[in-house]
Amino acid sequence: MFEFMQQSLDSAAQRAPAWLQDWLRDGRDRWEASTMPTRKTENWKYTSVQALREHFAPAAAGARLLRESDIDLPQLVGSRQVFINGHHSARLSDSELPDGVSLVRFGEASTAQAAHIRQYLGSAAGEAGTLFTALNDASLAEGVFVEIAAGHRVAQPLHLVWLTTNQGEAFSVNQRLLVLCGSDSSCAVVEQFAGVRDANKAFTNGVSELLLARGATLEHYRLHQEEGSDLHVGGVYARLAEQSTFNSFHLGLGSELKRIDVVVEHCGQGAHSEVNGVYLPRGSEHIDYHTCIEHRVPDCTSSETFRGIIADEARAVFNGRIHIHRDAQKTRAELSNKNLLTSTRAEVNTKPELEIYADDVQCAHGATVAQLNENALHYLRTRGVSRTEAQSMLSFGFINEVIDTVRNAALRDYLRAMLARRFARDPALTRPTA
Amino acid sequence: MSQAHIDSAIKKEYSAGFISAIESDTLPPGLDENVIRFISARKNEPQWLLDWRLEAYRGWLEMSEPTWAHVHYPPIDLQAISYYSSPKSIEDGPKSLEEVDPELLATYEKLGIPLHEQEMLAGVAVDAVFDSVSVATTFRAKLAEAGVIFCPISEAVREYPELVRKHLGTVVPRKDNYYAALNSAVFSDGSFVYIPRGVRCPMELSTYFRINEAKTGQFERTLIVADEGSHVSYLEGCTAPMRDENQLHAAVVELVALDGAQIKYSTVQNWYPGDAEGKGGIYNFVTKRGMAHRDAKISWTQVETGSAITWKYPSCILRGDNSVGEFYSVALTNNYQQADTGTKMIHLGKNTRSTIISKGISAGHSSNAYRGLVRMNPKADGARNYTQCDSLLIGDRCAAHTFPYIESRNPSAVIEHEATTSKVSDDQLYLCQQRGLDAEKAVSMIVNGFCKEVFKELPMEFAVEAGKLLEVSLEGSVG
Repeated sequence: MFEFMQQSLDSAAQRAPAWLQDWLRDGRDRWEASTMPTRKTENWKYTSVQALREHFAPAAAGARLLRESDIDLPQLVGSRQVFINGHHSARLSDSELPDGVSLVRFGEASTAQAAHIRQYLGSAAGEAGTLFTALNDASLAEGVFVEIAAGHRVAQPLHLVWLTTNQGEAFSVNQRLLVLCGSDSSCAVVEQFAGVRDANKAFTNGVSELLLARGATLEHYRLHQEEGSDLHVGGVYARLAEQSTFNSFHLGLGSELKRIDVVVEHCGQGAHSEVNGVYLPRGSEHIDYHTCIEHRVPDCTSSETFRGIIADEARAVFNGRIHIHRDAQKTRAELSNKNLLTSTRAEVNTKPELEIYADDVQCAHGATVAQLNENALHYLRTRGVSRTEAQSMLSFGFINEVIDTVRNAALRDYLRAMLARRFARDPALTRPTA
Repeated sequence: MSQAHIDSAIKKEYSAGFISAIESDTLPPGLDENVIRFISARKNEPQWLLDWRLEAYRGWLEMSEPTWAHVHYPPIDLQAISYYSSPKSIEDGPKSLEEVDPELLATYEKLGIPLHEQEMLAGVAVDAVFDSVSVATTFRAKLAEAGVIFCPISEAVREYPELVRKHLGTVVPRKDNYYAALNSAVFSDGSFVYIPRGVRCPMELSTYFRINEAKTGQFERTLIVADEGSHVSYLEGCTAPMRDENQLHAAVVELVALDGAQIKYSTVQNWYPGDAEGKGGIYNFVTKRGMAHRDAKISWTQVETGSAITWKYPSCILRGDNSVGEFYSVALTNNYQQADTGTKMIHLGKNTRSTIISKGISAGHSSNAYRGLVRMNPKADGARNYTQCDSLLIGDRCAAHTFPYIESRNPSAVIEHEATTSKVSDDQLYLCQQRGLDAEKAVSMIVNGFCKEVFKELPMEFAVEAGKLLEVSLEGSVG
């Protein structure tokens, strides 16, 4: 059933440090006990995992980028850590870390650090995770643990980059990040995934766990820039203690298969979360965002905005769930999902869900699917703007409203420039009909 | 058809087992092919319909009960249900109200349906179903004059076999889903309506369904065919006496709106919802669907206040270009009621339009879910959908859910979906109470306002009833 990962799992078990061995075995048991989702599985109704049914070799160490110019990274003032095919690249990474930030790679953890990591590992992704979280546990040979010391306000972002490049055969990468934000700390973490153009098929299974202690603030970015045959199935799992604030931004360029689960658990009173995202599949790409905002306790607020432009024969799936538990009174939660289809063969399936078990709440969600507004196009044309340019402007504007919510100015500029180039390069994203 | 003839026909096929049942006019509990043959023979149905039923039954045997709905209930023992019962005193078929068993009429009176007065009430014809067999039909003459056929479906099978055969199962196929397949196999009776080409039905058609005898599931089958350019408004309303055991109700309603036709189907459903502890009540698992051809319009309006469990998705297949589908719904749950209801709008034709307005109210320990699907197929150029689902919560032990599925494969189609959930505003309550209304009255008034958009779609007499129903259903939920 799961032969396609067998070799990778065996290889991970060999490489993993001793203190993780039982963790891997437990993950493997859960993975092998699960069944592959089909179209009949509610959570996978619109996403086929057929693309995973082939052999993926374990990612080999020592892969290098042929040309560094292949990868366009934002120049952020802060510390950058780069991983190539899942292995840390000392050459491309900064050795310094901002004050108040500690970073430990699982393979290098001391006994004390290992015990510290085990205390928190799985506390966000454990219950909420999918079978692919079990796969991630089963393949956990390397991971990154980041801790922001209590009370530290870290101004410079921590930039984590996972790159995939050629290996000569299809291969798999297991990525795991565990962030612990100490009480009243604040920081920004940028997770970026990108692949080298025309590389072999790579399957990345990424799981990030973000734990916010009392009063902590985390600015989180997850940029999925893998394209073509780079597959990614993974998720972000955040747990919010009281009075903490979580800002999360997601960018998803399409690829053959991309499925990201975002789960935000409000576990302490007064927690606030904001999750925004943009997805832009084209060609025959497929992208699927499943978000779930859990309100477990009273007095929390959440807001979520996702927008997508779906071009060519691409398919996008968005499932946004808001779950308000019993007695989570005084909750305010809202969600908006807007989609533009720019081709007659493009497809979007969206499902904003509300599941509410408390009465004193204010919840709303909205979803739209349409093409560019003819009146807006007409207006621009009466002002002398060509139709193509007007389409480009309006499409970019549609996405830009979400980009505006990005707090880090350098990152915002990077994203704007990158998307502007993409819009200019890729007229399919702006054409109302192909 | 004489009693003797029926009896002999049945005896021939069932040499053992059913003789005592025939005498009591109720089949013993259980379901197998013989039961279906019995029902069919009892109704003197043609062979094709028996075959149709058996085919549905065989399909049903291979299906499993759906579990995706957000409702919880103990397993239903379908073998513990009796699949046929008929009120005894009407076997000879009353020609008018005077011939109807006075005991039946008394039951109607108790339920508050003034059958006598309804003949006088302008424009309402009643085809009352009491435990599976139609007992009284009025205004037949006036409808016949317009060429409208409105009769029990069992009669239509005999009188208009071609019409029934042509349309039965075309909108809800025999094996559409578990309960629809069950219904297709064992349907007892229901209504058949045919509006000829270009005719505007001269009055609102109305059917009251009753469930009376204990442990008798009802499996109505309704088929409404509106021929080209015709127009009909159909009202369905139901009540059931207090009862402690759960009763299964699995109806199928099929609407066929041919080119340019309009069908408006309104329902007020207030079956026994179970008591305050959640004991008893009706299980209502209904399949309702309409097929709209070119320029046709199908409008569903429902006010659901009853039943322990509601599982119901009146849907529209907008097959013809420019066809229109509408769904207006108020679903109220109180105590331990559970509702999972909504609609499907399947846009196939060009410039098809659909509107969904759903108002859910949950009180007590109840759970109320809206589940809907809007699908734009690749050929639905210029299609349009607008959906609004609002939920109102009364009390901190109830639940409200929204599960809208939105699928678009056409860039020129426009879909808008909005949903909100909140409780009755303290400010509004305060204002009403300050003006001298007690809390219960105030809530009832606010809830009525919340549902106004749907109520205004109901025919007038239903709108009045619906308002009262909400008030009754909400009793005890405030304070």
